[in-house]
Amino acid sequence: MPAGPPEPGARRRLPGNLLAGAALVLVIAAAALVGPWVAPFPYDEFHIRDRLKAPDAVYWFGTDEYGRDVFSRVLAGSRISLFMGVAATAVSLFCGVALGLTAGFFRGRIDEWLMRLMDLLMSFPPVILGLLILAVTPPSLWKTVLAVGIVYIPAIVRVTRSVTLELAQEEFILAARARGENAGYILFREILPNAWPPIIVEASLRVTFAILLGAALSFLGMGAQPPSSDWGLMISEARSYLDQAWWMAVFPGLVMCLTVVGINLLGDGLREWLDPRLRHGGA
Amino acid sequence: MASPPSPPLLEIEGLCVSYATAGGTLRALSGVSFRLQPGEALGLAGESGSGKSTVALALLGLLGPEAALSARRLRFGGRDLLSLSPEERRRLRGGAMAIVFQDPFTALNPSLPVGRQVAEPMVFHRGLAESEALAAAIGLLHQVGIPRPEVVARSYPHQLSGGMQQRALIATALAAEPELLILDEPTTALDVTIEAQILDLLESLRRSRRLSILFISHNLGVIHRLCDSVCILYAGEVCETGPTKAVFRDPAHPYTRGLLASLPRLALGSRKRLSPIPGTLPDLEKPPPGCLFHPRCPYGDKRCGEQSPLLSSPGPERSVRCWKAQEIRGVAWEEAAGGNGRPAARGDEPADQAVAPLVIVRDLRKRYRLGGFWDALVWEKPGGQGWPRPAWEPKFLRALDGVSLAIAAGEVLGLVGESGCGKTTLGRTILRLIDPDGGEIVIDGRAIARAPERELRPVRRAAQIVFQNPDSSLNPRKTVGEIIGRPLERFRIASGAGLRRRVGELLDMVRLAPSYASRYPHQLSGGEKQRVGIARALATSPRFLVCDEAVSALDVSVQAAVLNLLEDLRRELGLAFLFITHDLSVVAHLAHRVMVMYRGGICEEGTIAQVLRPPFHPYTEALLSAVPRIDGERARIRLREEGPAPEFAGRGCRFQGRCPRLLGEICRTVAPPVLEPLPGHRILCHHRLETLAAVASPIADEAPPPGA
Amino acid sequence: MILYTLRRLALIVLLLWVMSVLLFAITQVLPGNVARMILGQFATADAIEAVETKLGLKDPLAVQYGRWFSNLIRGDFGQSLIMERPIGPLLSEALGRSAILACLSFVLVASAGILLGVIAAVRKNRPVDHAVSVFSYLGISVPEFFWGIVFILVFARFLGWLPSAGYSPLDEGLWSWFSRLIGPTLTLTFTLIAHISRLTRSSMLETLRSRYVLAARAKGLPERVILFRHALRNALLPTITVLAIDVGWLFGGIVVVETVFAFPGLGRLVAFAIERRDLPLIQATLLVITAIYCLANLAADLLYAALNPRIRYARRTS
Ligand code: SF4
Ligand code: SF4
Repeated sequence: MPAGPPEPGARRRLPGNLLAGAALVLVIAAAALVGPWVAPFPYDEFHIRDRLKAPDAVYWFGTDEYGRDVFSRVLAGSRISLFMGVAATAVSLFCGVALGLTAGFFRGRIDEWLMRLMDLLMSFPPVILGLLILAVTPPSLWKTVLAVGIVYIPAIVRVTRSVTLELAQEEFILAARARGENAGYILFREILPNAWPPIIVEASLRVTFAILLGAALSFLGMGAQPPSSDWGLMISEARSYLDQAWWMAVFPGLVMCLTVVGINLLGDGLREWLDPRLRHGGA
Repeated sequence: MASPPSPPLLEIEGLCVSYATAGGTLRALSGVSFRLQPGEALGLAGESGSGKSTVALALLGLLGPEAALSARRLRFGGRDLLSLSPEERRRLRGGAMAIVFQDPFTALNPSLPVGRQVAEPMVFHRGLAESEALAAAIGLLHQVGIPRPEVVARSYPHQLSGGMQQRALIATALAAEPELLILDEPTTALDVTIEAQILDLLESLRRSRRLSILFISHNLGVIHRLCDSVCILYAGEVCETGPTKAVFRDPAHPYTRGLLASLPRLALGSRKRLSPIPGTLPDLEKPPPGCLFHPRCPYGDKRCGEQSPLLSSPGPERSVRCWKAQEIRGVAWEEAAGGNGRPAARGDEPADQAVAPLVIVRDLRKRYRLGGFWDALVWEKPGGQGWPRPAWEPKFLRALDGVSLAIAAGEVLGLVGESGCGKTTLGRTILRLIDPDGGEIVIDGRAIARAPERELRPVRRAAQIVFQNPDSSLNPRKTVGEIIGRPLERFRIASGAGLRRRVGELLDMVRLAPSYASRYPHQLSGGEKQRVGIARALATSPRFLVCDEAVSALDVSVQAAVLNLLEDLRRELGLAFLFITHDLSVVAHLAHRVMVMYRGGICEEGTIAQVLRPPFHPYTEALLSAVPRIDGERARIRLREEGPAPEFAGRGCRFQGRCPRLLGEICRTVAPPVLEPLPGHRILCHHRLETLAAVASPIADEAPPPGA
Repeated sequence: MILYTLRRLALIVLLLWVMSVLLFAITQVLPGNVARMILGQFATADAIEAVETKLGLKDPLAVQYGRWFSNLIRGDFGQSLIMERPIGPLLSEALGRSAILACLSFVLVASAGILLGVIAAVRKNRPVDHAVSVFSYLGISVPEFFWGIVFILVFARFLGWLPSAGYSPLDEGLWSWFSRLIGPTLTLTFTLIAHISRLTRSSMLETLRSRYVLAARAKGLPERVILFRHALRNALLPTITVLAIDVGWLFGGIVVVETVFAFPGLGRLVAFAIERRDLPLIQATLLVITAIYCLANLAADLLYAALNPRIRYARRTS
C-alpha cells in the first residue's frame, strides 16, 4: 500500500513543493522515456564539420568536440541518470528494509552485529566506497548501480530499524503477540504498512544522492564509459574544453540540477504530507 | 468569600479564541468569563478539549500568532492586558503571573542545571545578580520541600524524580514572587502519593504567601481539595461557576451533574452503576446550534436546540448557563439519563471460591538487568589491596519478586500500585508476552510458564488483553473490521460471511454500530477506540481478560461508559478479569478482590471490603489517604519520596524506604510475616495486627449521596 | 568520561585492524595479476615470475598479510607500484595540503551552516528563511564537480580574478597560495553547508516548539536568552552528530574537488591510486582516511556528551 492516507475525511491540501517537485520529475521522466524519438540527432552521431559549435537554432545546447549534439546527449543522459537513481535506490531499499526490519524486530545479538556492520560500511566516505567497489572490476553501468546501492544501504537500515523499534513498542503489536501471531505476520502485516511513510521519504531523498554519486563516479572515470552520454561523464569530458565550449559542461550540469531539485522537492513535500504530527488529526 | 468587595485580581469577560483551519474556524473558547479575587483559589475544570489550557495560555499571552483572540474585558491587577505592549506582557509573565505546567520533565530544560532555571526569573524580573539569584534559588528549593537543595541546584532535571521536578518548577514559578499562580494540571503526571504531597505544598504556600491560584485540572477531586470556587468548562464555554462545595453538593448544570454521576467513588456503600454522559464533544469547527451540550443532554428540549442559553444564578455567587436550571432541580441525572441506578456489581458474587480457580499464578519472578554490559563492570581490589581487577556485577531490577494469585471465573481481581511497581509486567507475564524467570502460571488447567509458543495456542485463545492507550492499541492502517476479524481468522473461528456477521455481533457487544467495521482508527474517538480494543479481545470468546489501565487514558464521562460495559460483559460472559490500574476508585468500583503491589511484590490482598477497612498495610493506608476525592476525607498520611536510591536489595520489607510506620531495624533485615486478620485478607508487615487495626480509616464508609 | 574515551579509542583501533584485513582481502580479490599490472600488457612470463618473487607474492596469504601489517605498524606503508616511490612521504605531503583545505571548509561549514540555520528558524517563513532554503536547495542538488566547473568558468575564465587550478606552495607567495585554495574551499563548503543549515533549522524549530521553551517564555525571559540559552544548546545536539558524518562527505567531496581543481592532495592521490590499481597506495590512503573519519566521530561524540548532561551524568546516577 502506498503512503497516502486513503481514508475519506482526512483530505489535506497537498504541499506546493510536492506538486512542483512532482511536475519537474514528471517532465524529466517523460523526457527520459520518449527521448530517443524526439531528440533531433542520435546521441552518438558525429558532425565533424560542426565541432564545438555554440548553441544555435540547430544545436540548441551546442555541440561537443566531435560535433555531437549536446541537447540530444543530455536527453539521452536523463535515462541513464534516472535509471541509476531508481535502480540503485531499489537495491538499497531492498537490502536495507530487510536488514532494518530484522535488526529492529529481533533486537539482541543480530541487531548488534548488523549495526556494527553498518557502522563499518558507514565509516567509508560514500565516494570512496563506491570507487573501491568499482576498482575491483572493470567499470560498467550495472556495477555502478550496485556500488551506489550498497553505499546507501546503511541509511535505509537506520531509518527502517528506528521505525521498527518504535512500532514494536506499540500496543497493537503486543495484541498481535497475545494472539500468538508469528514473526512474519507481525513484520509484514502489522509493522511494514506503518513503517512505509518514513522509508519512502528517505528513499526519495536517496534517489538524488544516488544520481549525484553515480555522476561523481562517472566524472572520476569509474562509472559510465565513453561514448555513453552520462551527465557526469559529459561534464568530465567537457573539462578539457572549458575555455572554448562552456556549454558542453553547463547544460548537462543544469539539467542534472533540475532533476535533483525536482526529486528533492518531491521528497520534502512527501515528508510534510506524511508528517506524523498531522497524521492523527483526521478524527 | 469576603464581604468587603475588593477589586478582583483577574477579570475575564467574553474571552474568545479561535483558530483558522482548512475547514473553517475552530472556536476553542467562546465567551469565557470569570473573576478571581486576591487570595482566592479558583479551579478550572473540564475534560480534554474543553479549552482549559487555552485560557491559561491566553492569559499569559503565549497563544502564538495562529490564534485569534478577543475579549470584552481582560484585566489583571487593574491593568488591561489587551492594551499592553508585547514587552509589558513579557514583564508580567513569570513576574506577577507565573505558571506551572503539566509534565515537569518536558517543562524543564534538559541541559541546564536546575538551580539556574529556578534563578532565571529573579535575574530578569528582580534584577538580582546571577550569584545572588542562585543563592536565593537554593532557599526557594528548600522552601518547596526539596532535601539537600544545594545538591539539587547543581543537578540536571533527569537526575530528579518526577515529584522533585515538579517542586523545582513550582519554585521557579514562585521565584519572582507572583500574585497569581496558574497551575495547569500540575499533578496529572504524578503518582497519587506524590500528588498528595504536591497538593499539600500548594496549600501551605497559598496560605503563607497569600497567593491567588488559578488551578486547571480534569480531576474534580483535586479541585475539591484545593479550590474555593470552581468554574466548569465544556467545549470552550463556561457552564457553571460557584463555590466548590456548593457546586459539588448541588450541581445546577446538567453537564456538571453528568460528570459527578460518572465518577467512580472510593467510599464503600456508595457504589452503584455509573451513569455516563452519552455522546462525544461537539465538533468545534461546526458547533451545534443552541446549547453546546444539547446533543448529549438528557434534560434538553426543543428550545435548547435553537437558542444558546443565558447565564442565570441558582444561588449566592453561583451562575449557570442552562435554560432549565430551575426546572430540573431535584431531577437526578440518573433518572433523566434513564440509567435506573441499578445496584452495582457485587450483587451477584463470582463463582464459588471452592471451584478450582481459572487462573493460578505461583511465585512468579522476573528481573531485568539495569544498564548495559559495560555498566555492570566494576573495578575492585580483592581484599582491599593490590591492583584493582575488573568484575562483572550487574544490578537487577526485580520487576516481579515472587507474586502469587488466583482468579475464579466471573471474578474481577484488581491490581493497584504506582508507576514502576511491576503491575504491567505482571499482567504481560501471565499472558506470556514476557517470559518469566521462574514460577508457575496455570490458565484454564494448562501450565504455561515454560511452554513453547506453539503449545500456547489454546491459551492465547482463552486469555486476552485490553491495553491502556487507545491510540497505540489499534493498527492505524487497518479498518475496525480487519482488526476485530483477525483473531477470528487466526483461530479459524469464522470466515467469509460468517466472519462479517461475527464482527457485527462483537461490535454490538461493545455498543458500536455495525457501520464502524469499515472505519479506520483515526476516525474514532478515544472511547470508541477502547471499545474496539475490547471487541478485539473478546473475539476469541476468551474466559480471562487482562485489562491493563484500560480506562486510565479516558475522560471521566467516557471512562464510566467503558466501566459499565466491562461490568456487563463480565456478567453476561462470566469473564475473569485481572484489572490493573493506578486508580483506587476504579478498583473500588469494579473489583471483587484487590491486591496492592509495591516494587515487584504484593503487600496486601483481600476482598474490596477488607482492603478498604482497617487493618491496613501501611502502604495501602497511605494510598487511600492520598486519593483526592469529592466526598470528604479524614486522616492524612504522607509518604516520603524516594530519591534515586538503590533498588530494593531483597532484604527486609520492600516498603522500608518510604514506610511512615517504620518499626526500625527489623523492617530492614527481616522479611515481614503474613498477617491474616480474616480469611483471604493478607497483610505483609511486622506490626501487630491490633496496631494496624487501630488506625482510623482515611475514607468514609458511607458517602453523602451526591447530587441531592 | 575518561573510561568512555578509552573504550572508544580501543574500538577505533579494533575497527582499523578490521579495515586492514578487509583492505588486504580486497587486494586479493582484485582480478588481474599485480605483476602484469606493473610491467604492462606485453611482459614476458619470466619477467612476471621474477617480479612476483621479488614482491613475495608467492608466499601464503597469511604470511603476506603479516609482513604487510608489521610494516604498517612500524609506519612503513610500502612502495607505490606505479610511482615507484615510498608511500610515507607521498602520503604526508598530500595529507598536509588536503588538511588545510578540509579544515578551512569544515570551519566554514560548521559556523556558517549553523548561523544560517538559526536565522532561518527564527525568521521562519519570512524572506530570509526562503532565501536560505533556496540557497540550500542549490547546495544539495548540485554536485561538487559542477559547482567547481561553474566556479572556474566564472572566476577564472570570465572574470579572470583567480587562477583556475593547481597548487602553489606557500613560499611562492601568500596570495598565490591562498588564491588557489579559494575555489576548492568554497566549492566544498557550498555543498555541505546546505546539509547543516537545513538540519539546524529543523532541529531549532523543533526545540522552539518544545515544552521547556514554552516554559521559558512563560518565565518572561527576553527572547535572546530563550534563543541562546534554552533553545540553541539543545538544538545543536543533532547537528553535531551530522557534522561528524559530514567529515566523511568532506572526504568524498575532496576526491572530486581536487580532481576538478587539479589540487595535488589526498583526494587526488586516492583517485589516482584506485584508477591505476596501485594496491599499496590504495591500502595506505584508505586506512588513513578511515582513521581520520573515526577520530572525527569520536570528537563529535565527546562534544555531544559535553553538551548533553543526560549522557555526561548517565553513569553516576543509575
Ligand atoms: S440548556 Fe438545555 S440542553 Fe443545554 S444544558 Fe440546559 S437543559 Fe441541557
Ligand atoms: S514491615 Fe516495617 S517497613 Fe514494612 S510495612 Fe510494616 S512497618 Fe512498614
